[in-house]
Amino acid sequence: MTPTKHILGTFDEALSSLRNNVLMMAGLAERTLDRAIKGLLERDDNLCVTAIADDEEIDQLEKQIDKDGVDVLLRFQPVASDMRRVVAAMKLSPNIERIADQATNIARRARKLNKHAPLPEVEMIIPIQAHAMAMFKDSIDAFTREDVDLGRAVVARDKELDQLNKVANRKLTDRMAQDPKQLRGYLNLIFVSRCLERVGDHATNIAEDAVYAAAAEDIRHQTVAASA
Amino acid sequence: MVSLIEMPQTLPQQLPSQSDRPAAEANGDTVMIDVRDLDFAYGGNQVLYDVSLDIPPQAVTAFIGPSGCGKTTLLRCINRMNDLIENARITRGAIRLGGVDINAPEVDVVDLRRRVGMVFQKSNPFPKSIYENISYGLRIAGVSKKSRLDEAVEKSLRASALWDEVKDRLDDGALGLSGGQQQRLCIARALAVEPDVVLMDEPCSALDPIATAKIEELIQELKRQYTIVIVTHNMQQAGRISDHTGFFYLGRLVEFGPTTRIFTNPTERRTEDYITGRFG
Repeated sequence: MTPTKHILGTFDEALSSLRNNVLMMAGLAERTLDRAIKGLLERDDNLCVTAIADDEEIDQLEKQIDKDGVDVLLRFQPVASDMRRVVAAMKLSPNIERIADQATNIARRARKLNKHAPLPEVEMIIPIQAHAMAMFKDSIDAFTREDVDLGRAVVARDKELDQLNKVANRKLTDRMAQDPKQLRGYLNLIFVSRCLERVGDHATNIAEDAVYAAAAEDIRHQTVAASA
Repeated sequence: MVSLIEMPQTLPQQLPSQSDRPAAEANGDTVMIDVRDLDFAYGGNQVLYDVSLDIPPQAVTAFIGPSGCGKTTLLRCINRMNDLIENARITRGAIRLGGVDINAPEVDVVDLRRRVGMVFQKSNPFPKSIYENISYGLRIAGVSKKSRLDEAVEKSLRASALWDEVKDRLDDGALGLSGGQQQRLCIARALAVEPDVVLMDEPCSALDPIATAKIEELIQELKRQYTIVIVTHNMQQAGRISDHTGFFYLGRLVEFGPTTRIFTNPTERRTEDYITGRFG
């Protein structure tokens, strides 16, 4: 359903501004995550520092979205799809902010790793990063295009990411036993893997909110509800 | 406007009252007012087309829609207020109250209007005392015992949340009350004859936010005992106080359903456009 314009032009402007800020925030978080991972894989401290510095702008955008969302609720009392879009935007932004936090954590771990000799096991992070990043991008696409099927698909992909993280953890734990001298490095990689797994969790939340915004359907906790 | 209680009396034919029905039926799943395939016209001007909906008992049902969409006409059909307008008539379909066709020849219109009270956009107290306003309906129904009238006046004023404000000045003129108090007095007057249904035609449109809040609070209390049907142009009000909402457009019922769903995820594009302010 393509929405037509509101009679109140200011309402359209406020909704549009809110949405644009969410998309801008998502773009910045994606760039930060990309920089953090590149900083790790390419052993580039400058990229890591930039990724850490980017977080401030994303934090400010989160506050701005909250403020704008409250303002829209107060001034226009949105209902139906408008209300769902505002609620979704206000729920998306903390998840995007957490993703940026995870990127910052990865960048910090990468800087620690970069101080020591390279570990070949860093390659294990690549498929996990690819999966988490794809989930994040698709969740934002699902919100932008109001694509319910894509949103559901993102949610379904989280288990695979959990599995990738588990496998990486197991392998890295084994390596720790085999090569205790590199224990600190392996621990940092486990931490990076865990951060990416959390990115997947936040992408799942975003996808669930995208489905709510598009179809007014709450798909959260369906596994638990079904088994209860 | 002719008041219900000013209508000439005829011998009442009993319509089934809400309290006559089994208690088990008094929930949101049953039907108090059944509107079926209704067409209505003012002379040659048809204003309602094929309207069908079930209004549940002891709940608030809101009619929303742009001016001229037929929502007030339908409201007025429910207690046959349109009978007072020349050439206005139902041309097809029926309205049943508790299963009885309210337009059937054997139905007494005065009894119907006692069962189905009405509150209007502009409060319309009689230029009499507060006490006389409330007791008037009972008096013309033949109740003359002072204790019975006193009891009914107090009960109605308490039910309309006005008792504490006027109990010490029941003999004062009703026109001396504030706008919000006058509207609650009109609600009390409607309640005095113990109706099953209360129809409200934009009852808060002339009131300030505080008086509006009092009426809305009152409506929430009243729905425990009465079936309320309200016409409102205030979307937020419909969202706040109603359990079910019907959206009308150009004489047709576009969508009818639980208020939460209508205001969260309407199925019809026209409903969505109207409630979100996209109607041009």
